[in-house]
Amino acid sequence: MTIFQITLSSPRPQTRISRRTLLKGSAAVALGAIALPPARGAAVGQSAPGVSSGPPPKGKVIDCHAHLTHHSRATWEADDRKLIEAADKLGIDQLCCSTLTPRWPATLDGFRECNQWTADGVRRFPGRVLGYCYVNPGYGREALEEVRRYVGDRGFIGIKLYNEYTCTEPVVFPIVELAIELGVPILHHASHSHYFVEDQPRMSDGGHLAELARRYPEAMLICAHISGGGDWEWTIKALRHAPNVLLDTSGSATDEGTVEMAAAVAGVDRLVFGCDSSMTAGMGKIRGADLSAQDKEKVLGGNMMRLLGRRKA
Amino acid sequence: MIVDVNAYLGHFAFRRLRHNTAAALLVLMDSKRIDKAAVSSAGAITYRNAQAGNEEVAEEVRVRSDRLIPFAVINPFYAGWQDDLKICHEEFGMAGLRLYPKWHNYQLSSPCCRELVNAATERGMVISIPIRVEDNRERSWLLNVPDVSLEEIVELVKAHPKARFILLNGIGYTGCLLGRKDNGLPSNYAIELSRLSAVLANELGQLITNLGAERVMFGSGMPFNYPDPALVKLEVLDASEADKEKIRSQNAMTWLRL
Repeated sequence: MTIFQITLSSPRPQTRISRRTLLKGSAAVALGAIALPPARGAAVGQSAPGVSSGPPPKGKVIDCHAHLTHHSRATWEADDRKLIEAADKLGIDQLCCSTLTPRWPATLDGFRECNQWTADGVRRFPGRVLGYCYVNPGYGREALEEVRRYVGDRGFIGIKLYNEYTCTEPVVFPIVELAIELGVPILHHASHSHYFVEDQPRMSDGGHLAELARRYPEAMLICAHISGGGDWEWTIKALRHAPNVLLDTSGSATDEGTVEMAAAVAGVDRLVFGCDSSMTAGMGKIRGADLSAQDKEKVLGGNMMRLLGRRKA
Repeated sequence: MIVDVNAYLGHFAFRRLRHNTAAALLVLMDSKRIDKAAVSSAGAITYRNAQAGNEEVAEEVRVRSDRLIPFAVINPFYAGWQDDLKICHEEFGMAGLRLYPKWHNYQLSSPCCRELVNAATERGMVISIPIRVEDNRERSWLLNVPDVSLEEIVELVKAHPKARFILLNGIGYTGCLLGRKDNGLPSNYAIELSRLSAVLANELGQLITNLGAERVMFGSGMPFNYPDPALVKLEVLDASEADKEKIRSQNAMTWLRL
């Protein structure tokens, strides 16, 4: 049963920040209309191979990296509602959500109930929440069955992988091959710090994702939160020659210049807007980035729409 | 009007900054309708002799002091800091301090620091403390500088009730005494909003409820940070326009005597 359809019309209620303001990036809402200097177009790289090169859909804003709350948290229903309210305030049409286990590595029962809750979230917020299927690749056949169940049969839009395995470990490959078969992206947790992250010993980074992308050039990979994943300059440079890896702009860091460097090095067609629960940081970075309005539309939703459009029937 | 209490000029040792000259920062501020900003030296965070950074800032803002309000970076363990403070205040017209206890390797509770706070307070200078400079996950392989502990701040504000502190780049205040209602602390500190959430957990809203809008100030961390996330927070914040105006500019204008 398919419980989700990608909608082209915007189903969200009236927002507080207009799309015009989002794209221009100013304090205009707070302070009235102002004259801004014209945005300077950033260096735009070539489109990722295999990604259709038609004009991006106009105006849709998609958060490529969001999470629903695990039900062990007493306030999960209210927290999920707050996420939608925040999206309303920020002009975000749709949120691509997974539910993660509170402890890792995720058990089979753990990720199964998370995916059930994500499916519930898709139902509770129709047209607003899109589901990622979260699995621990170490469960082999069961993990593949879970992906087939939620992506193949129930309309989830992609796969979420966390830190149970580094993405270059062979145990991950069958998941990648299934994602290729289904035509859906994998959003992969990633970070690169210049020290060993003890609580995440199998963390992937941009270099690992580039290596995986070379092994599977037809895969659609998203490198999670370049702004919350350590040294973002390292990550962007590591991904320069990996055209089938998209860069998710989410994360709590708001370092000036991040989005511009990513656009210049990887190409604006490879950037996808995300928040990962850092809502004003996520939207503020795109507003503040020195990109043209057209490029911001691509980042905010156009590129993700193109990616979702590659899904195989 | 918008007054940003958290801005910088100059170079940072570990990352190239853009918009980091007075002229370039003013262009950025104009594009965001930020009228005034309190600026200090980014270089002085890692210079051994921080006064060299203060001199650079003083020179940069010399003909722009109507919009750029210079703050001094003083290391109370470095030789001659008393002379530096005097010069920064009397010659450079610096309105306040920025302290970096973790980067400069001292305790806020140390006698030298307490002496500096007293000396600055006697001069009517505001003391701002960045809880962090950058996200620690981004740090260079050369160093590991922790955030300033909020518990240390609690002790500092208690010890100096006549001083005025602005806490920058911080988060988690509602989880400690600093952000709680009726906390028994002197109301001698204000909290800048650049890292506070304005939706979801909405720490910004909680602080307004607990401490009052008079105790919250707008700041962005530019040019380390995009100013836009901080501006977006004000836009989506559920607060009265009167409270937003206090946060946007009035509180800073009062504290900095602008």
